[in-house]
Amino acid sequence: MIKIKDLKKIYGSTTVLNIPELTIPKSQCIGLVGNNGAGKTTLFRIMLDLVRATEGFVSIDEEEVNKGEQWKTKVGAYLDENMLLSYLSPEEYFRALIKIYRLSEEDLQLHLAKFADFFNGEILGSKKYIRDLSKGNIKKVGIAAALLGKPEAVLLDEPFENLDPSSQIRLKKLILKEKEENLVTFLISSHDLNHVTEICERIVLLEKGVIVRDLEDKSLMTEELNNYFNVS
Amino acid sequence: MVKTLIKLEVLKRIRGTSFARSLAIGILMLFLGVLLLGYLFLFGLFMNRLVTDVLEKPDAIIFINSNLLYFFLLELIYRYFIQQLPVINLENYLHLPIPKSGIIHSLLVCSFLSPLNIVALLIFGPFAFVEVMVVYGIAPAMVWLGAILLTSWSMHWFVLWFKQRFEDSLIGTLVVFSALLISIGSNYFGVYDLGGFFEPVFTFALENPAPIVLLAIVFILSYFLCFAFYRQNAYLEELAEGEHLQFANQDLGFLSKFGLAGEMANLEWKLIIRHKKSRTYLMLCLFFLLYGLIFYTNPAYRVETGFSYLFIFVGTFITGIFMLQYGQLFLSWNSPTFDFYTHQKNGLRALVRGKYLLFSGISFACFILSVPYVYFGWNVLFIHLATFLFNMGVTIHLVIYLALWKPKPMNLNKGSVFNYEGMGLSQFLMIIPLVAVPYVVFLPVAYWFGDYFGLLALSIIGAFGLLVFPKISTKMADVVVDKKYEISAAFRQEL
Repeated sequence: MIKIKDLKKIYGSTTVLNIPELTIPKSQCIGLVGNNGAGKTTLFRIMLDLVRATEGFVSIDEEEVNKGEQWKTKVGAYLDENMLLSYLSPEEYFRALIKIYRLSEEDLQLHLAKFADFFNGEILGSKKYIRDLSKGNIKKVGIAAALLGKPEAVLLDEPFENLDPSSQIRLKKLILKEKEENLVTFLISSHDLNHVTEICERIVLLEKGVIVRDLEDKSLMTEELNNYFNVS
Repeated sequence: MVKTLIKLEVLKRIRGTSFARSLAIGILMLFLGVLLLGYLFLFGLFMNRLVTDVLEKPDAIIFINSNLLYFFLLELIYRYFIQQLPVINLENYLHLPIPKSGIIHSLLVCSFLSPLNIVALLIFGPFAFVEVMVVYGIAPAMVWLGAILLTSWSMHWFVLWFKQRFEDSLIGTLVVFSALLISIGSNYFGVYDLGGFFEPVFTFALENPAPIVLLAIVFILSYFLCFAFYRQNAYLEELAEGEHLQFANQDLGFLSKFGLAGEMANLEWKLIIRHKKSRTYLMLCLFFLLYGLIFYTNPAYRVETGFSYLFIFVGTFITGIFMLQYGQLFLSWNSPTFDFYTHQKNGLRALVRGKYLLFSGISFACFILSVPYVYFGWNVLFIHLATFLFNMGVTIHLVIYLALWKPKPMNLNKGSVFNYEGMGLSQFLMIIPLVAVPYVVFLPVAYWFGDYFGLLALSIIGAFGLLVFPKISTKMADVVVDKKYEISAAFRQEL
């Protein structure tokens, strides 16, 4: 579904990202891990065509992301607050989105019903703009928005950060359910190794922009990761 | 402590994206600024001759003294619009063990280093040497100049206080507007000779050093007025301030008929009414509707045949002020949410088209609201129609084209206190070519064929612009799409 080829991002003289090849098949859940500065967010931004790649390309369903726009209907993403219209209330934001995605009000209600537990009654119906919500709640709005419109792939940057423990568990369930029922491809970056190893069948480990491990064996994942991140 | 903070502020400015990215523009601005200040200096140098020879007043000093008030009123107005507080990020410092007063002092000192504060010196400095010193001697000349500078500088603090205190409220705009009215009204109607009333104050400074002491006290007091206000309000206001949804909940439903672009226009409308800064712009638009009253009623602009050419300018402003002002910061308004538009399919194109839609809509509303001016004669209506068409057909594209030159990020979610991002002298200078363009079309035609043919020319060119509107707006959208990486990088403040 997603293909990365000879991708390089160079700022000045430093190469912050160098991925010769990475292919993500459909309905795979990939965890992206790595210490700060490994290039996770940059990779996401290039995949979403928010940042120009210095060399190489990313293609989604054979369409290079910087050449066409068809892929945008297939990919949902939440990286940071820049992707929200924070001066709207959550409801208004979702309404605006369904108009852009050409969905009906019923679609939206069905979609939001899936998130009822996850929202914990704090998002919908409150008379607050998104910008006035807490960090965790802003993240919840962003994640729900990323999953709107039946995307085939979803990119989430640090989705577990700022969420309370119950919400983290609910989010994991949501992701697994989406993957099973709708065959959604997920690409999730996280610093929480337990969460990613639990939900992802493949883990890609980035270090200074280079893929140093590509783990697909669930039984060895935890050990490998612990070995890598363990500092003494 | 203040020194460290100032150093940090300087570093922040040098390392800011907009500075590094737009060095060329920075140099151009500097050049223009120096040129402007140079002109002012020359003006000051020849002011005595201008007064005695051109205006044929017997005594230049008395004339200047009796007109100083108008200068200060004018200064008040341009300071109100141009002057900005150097935005030290309060959040970065408030939690540190730095006394708040230290932060505020450095903030205010930084703000004082502004070209606006040497305008008075440049104009009246040469005059003090060339004229006052010759007539009265060196000491009175110094006292006189000192009195003027101190008045001007007191105004600096006063405006800082005033802007912060009344910013965005109706009172603030009203006061500035009435100051404008008073200065122009008293000047032309001669109902009240305010200038003459204040003349003795500065004449007194020629004979006695007392005014300078007094004004020095005013200067210091105004500084502390400003300081006390900022000190008291040095909180992260936006944390406490929760705006009520009900207040700004109106949808412009009819916009939905225009598809995705209409949806974007609708979102933009919400953006406008939910942020203080943009609301101020919208309000200005209403005030500029009244702007015509100053000019159309004024006998000074009555001419035998046709109409005063100044009315073109008035018409351009009345029908296009929102577009001119809001449009200058074209994409900056969306800087916090730019990724949202980039990520939507056709999002950027729709955004640009939505903005076009909104600008045209508001300009059209202004035009309709300005129809009652027909009371002052049919030609007023014709002027408005011609300038409206021209605004829609030509100026709108120019505004957007110029605004795409160097979009700067702007934090709209910050409280209105300490938030003057995005606006500055450069935004103000941008308006000059925009106002000049209608005249480039109008003047030659009006000169050769007559005033109404000038209007016709404006209308025809405007209508032609409307015909090719889709083409040009698509082109503008292309520019945005082409530059999207640069723009979004600038908005993320990365290099």
